Amino acid sequence: MEFAYLAAGIGAGIVAIGAGIGIGLIGKGATESIARQPEASGDIRGAMILTAAFIEGVALFGAIICIILALK
Amino acid sequence: MVQALRRVFLILLFLSVSTSNTFAAEEKESPIDIMGTVADHDYFNFFSIKIPLPRIIILQHAAGNTSLEVFGSTHSAIESGLFEDADHALVPTNNGKILIDLSITSHLVYFWLGLIAVAIFTSFARRRYSQGIGVKTEPRGVVQNIFEIFFLFIRDDVARPNIDDKKSDRYMPYLFTVFMGIAFMNVFGLLPWAATATADITVTAVFALFTFVITQFSGSKDYWGHIFWFPGVPLGVKFLMIPVELIGLLTKPFALAIRLFANMMSGKIMIIAILGLIFIFNDMYGAAAGYGVSIFSVAMTSVLYILKLFVALLQAYIFTLLSAVFIGMAVEDHSHDEEHYHAEHSA
Repeated sequence: MEFAYLAAGIGAGIVAIGAGIGIGLIGKGATESIARQPEASGDIRGAMILTAAFIEGVALFGAIICIILALK
Repeated sequence: MVQALRRVFLILLFLSVSTSNTFAAEEKESPIDIMGTVADHDYFNFFSIKIPLPRIIILQHAAGNTSLEVFGSTHSAIESGLFEDADHALVPTNNGKILIDLSITSHLVYFWLGLIAVAIFTSFARRRYSQGIGVKTEPRGVVQNIFEIFFLFIRDDVARPNIDDKKSDRYMPYLFTVFMGIAFMNVFGLLPWAATATADITVTAVFALFTFVITQFSGSKDYWGHIFWFPGVPLGVKFLMIPVELIGLLTKPFALAIRLFANMMSGKIMIIAILGLIFIFNDMYGAAAGYGVSIFSVAMTSVLYILKLFVALLQAYIFTLLSAVFIGMAVEDHSHDEEHYHAEHSA
């Protein structure tokens, strides 16, 4: 079915939007808090990577489903 | 300056030579095979020399009896008359059925190579430390210094902050093995001819399964209490929380496996797709367009390779960090007196 390709493409785009907003917000929060409290930058960086990894995980679930749709 | 230009030229030449060799043998209908490069293979590729790997198959015959069949390669399996080739997959003749396919594949070989590399690396460091180098004196040599950087990083930045202090050192061997194993497999996957073992869901699922089992076996009373009898909520909600917590138990290792797998596979697909533009343009608009696109493609791929080297270590770090966080959540005893105590003394 051609619609599966269409769905995979649109889905991948939406996944990218969601992950982009999420990771962008994390980056915003992290840079702001590092600017306010530079001595805590190590802890903030660790928390930032951890949270970004969670968002990325959710986004990759979507990406995997898109790949499965496209390969169907 | 001239030296640098010469190096860049050599790298470009090497990239173009190696890629054209790999893709020249592909089928005519499609200039590149994206999924074929990430899929598992029945041969071990080394500088475009293909070494066939053994096939071990437990076969169920049409009569109902089973037998273990071992062949040196896929080719000899087909020659034996028991199997035939159907679209690059082995299909038994005479109405047989493949019960279990235990064949050694390229991903498995790279999985083993990664673990062997970890074993060599750590046993080298162990010999040094048991001789007293690094204990009484400073660590000597490049390898031991690299070992110490990674080991201290995992111990001080991953294990100790996330797992309860007294118990964290018990999980260090596992966390360090996982970190180095995934890092080695990811870095081996960057070699142009090699397969990325971590771009296979089965490999990452095995790692996630280990984390899952260790987490469950180190679970404290509070951990199981939170799953089966959630504290501090009304009675009805306690029953409602049981399935939610059980699902949460399973999604953690699932997310762990999918994250590593998808990251490594997408990186690989991205590089093949960008290099593949050369061949697509070559097919559609002629050789000149192919050469033109190759400038863009090769530059882009070089940048992506640097990014992938970073991602290879970052993903190993994230996997280890999340494993440590999950284990830390399980071993934690949080009695409420202790929380009260901490709140009083930190204020």
